[in-house]
Amino acid sequence: MSIVVRRHIPQLIVTTIVILTVAFYYLYINKNIAESFTTADKALSDWAVIITSFALIVGGTDILRFHLVRLKREGLKQAPFSAVTIGLLMVMVLFALYGWFLSYVDPKAGITITTQPQFRWLYLNVYAPADAAMYSILVFYIASASYRAFRVRNPMALLLLVTALIVIFGNTTVGGLIWPGFLPLRDWIMTVPNTAAFRPITIGAGLGTIILGLRLLMWREVSWMGRRE
Amino acid sequence: MSEAKIGKEFPVRKIPAFDAIEEAVARSVEMGRPVHMTFGFGTISSAMAPQFIAGLGVLSHVARLCGRYGAKLIATLGVPEAIATTEEIVREGYYSSSRPELYDPTYNVRYLTDQQFAYASAVQATLIRERVGANIVVGPFYAESLIFMEAGNMVNAFQIAGTARETQIPFFVLVADYSFIGEEIFAAGALASGDKETLASIRGQDIGKVLSIVLIVLGVLLLFGGYKLVDALNWVWKVG
Repeated sequence: MSIVVRRHIPQLIVTTIVILTVAFYYLYINKNIAESFTTADKALSDWAVIITSFALIVGGTDILRFHLVRLKREGLKQAPFSAVTIGLLMVMVLFALYGWFLSYVDPKAGITITTQPQFRWLYLNVYAPADAAMYSILVFYIASASYRAFRVRNPMALLLLVTALIVIFGNTTVGGLIWPGFLPLRDWIMTVPNTAAFRPITIGAGLGTIILGLRLLMWREVSWMGRRE
Repeated sequence: MSEAKIGKEFPVRKIPAFDAIEEAVARSVEMGRPVHMTFGFGTISSAMAPQFIAGLGVLSHVARLCGRYGAKLIATLGVPEAIATTEEIVREGYYSSSRPELYDPTYNVRYLTDQQFAYASAVQATLIRERVGANIVVGPFYAESLIFMEAGNMVNAFQIAGTARETQIPFFVLVADYSFIGEEIFAAGALASGDKETLASIRGQDIGKVLSIVLIVLGVLLLFGGYKLVDALNWVWKVG
C-alpha cells in the first residue's frame, strides 16, 4: 500500500472531522447557519453510531474466530470457556434474529429484538446477574487495595490513613454516633483539599486533550496508526 | 512546534511511568511471561477519544519494545471500532523490529465484548490464565480499573497504569507500580515518537498550564477586590 493510502488518507479524514466538529460547535454566524450546523453535527454523531454498529459485527466475528482457533490449538483445556462463549453468542444472535424476523412478519404483536421472550429471559436471568456479580466484586477489591494502601510505612501514609478514616466515619451513621464532628470534617476534606487536588488534574487533562488535538490536526501525532515514517 | 522545526531543542522532563515500560517488557521476557495491555471501557467514538488515542500511542511504543525484546504481547479491547487499528499497531510494532514471526493476530489482539463488566471479567481471566508478566493499562477507564489492577496484582505482574479520568486516578496510584497522572498519558505519545516537533508540543501544554495558574491567581485577586470576573464573562456570552 502506498503511503497515501496508509497514512495520508486516514490523517485527512481525522483532520476534516476535527475541523468540522469544532466549527459546528463553536462557530456562530446567524440562526439559520447555526441550525444547519446542528443538523450536520447530529449527522456526524449518527455516522459514528452506524460505524460502531457495523463494527460490532466485526467484533462478533472476531470473538468467534478467536475461540475457534483457541479450541483447535488448546483442545480440552480451553473447551469449557470457549464452548460456553460460542454457544451463548450463537444462541443470543439466533433469538435476536428471530425477534427481528417477527417484528417484520407480525408487527402488531409488538415483538422486537429486545422484547423477544427467550432473548429477554437470557438477558435478565443470565447476563444481568452475572454483570451485577462482577460489579459487586469491586467492593472486595477496594477492601484489599485499601488494606495495602493504608499500611503506615511513613508519615505520608499515616496522613492518608487518618484522612481516609475521617471520610469513612463521616460517610457512615456509626461515625456520627462516635463523634458528630466527623461529618463537617468529611465535608471540608471533600470540598477543599480534595477539590483543590482534582482541579489541576482536570485542567491539565483538558490542556493535554487540546495539544493532542493540535498534534492530530498538524499530522504530528501518528502513533495511533502504528507507524512513524 | 514551529521553533522546534528551525532546530530549537526543548528539554522534556522524564515521566517515570513511561521509562518503566521498557523495564516491564524486559522483566516479562526474563520471566517468560506475556505483556498485557488494555485501554479501558471508554470508546474511540465519544468524548473519551483523546484518551483512547493516547492509549494507542502507548501501545505503539509497547509493541515496538515487545518486538525488540521478543516478548509476547496481548492487547485486549472492548471497543469494536478499534480492532483494526489495534491489530495494525501491534503488527507494525513487531514488523518494524524485524520480528514478524512473533505476530499472531489471534493471540496478540483480543476483542472481548462491548459490555463493561463482561469486558472486565474477560480481562481479569486473561491476566490470570495467561499469567502476564506486565500489565499496562492506559486509556479512559471507568469502574473496571481496580478489577484490572487487582487481577494483575494476583499474578504479581509489573503494573503501569494511566488515565485522565480523575475518579479512577486514585485507584491506579494506589495499586500500580508506576502511574501516568492526568495529562501525562497525552505526553506519553509524544515521548514515544521521539520526534522533536511533537515533543515541543509538550512545551505548549506547559505554557497553557502556566497561563491557567496566572488566570486562577488573577481570578482570586479580583474576587478579593470585590470584582466578579464571571459577570463580565456572562455579559460576553449574552452578546455572543
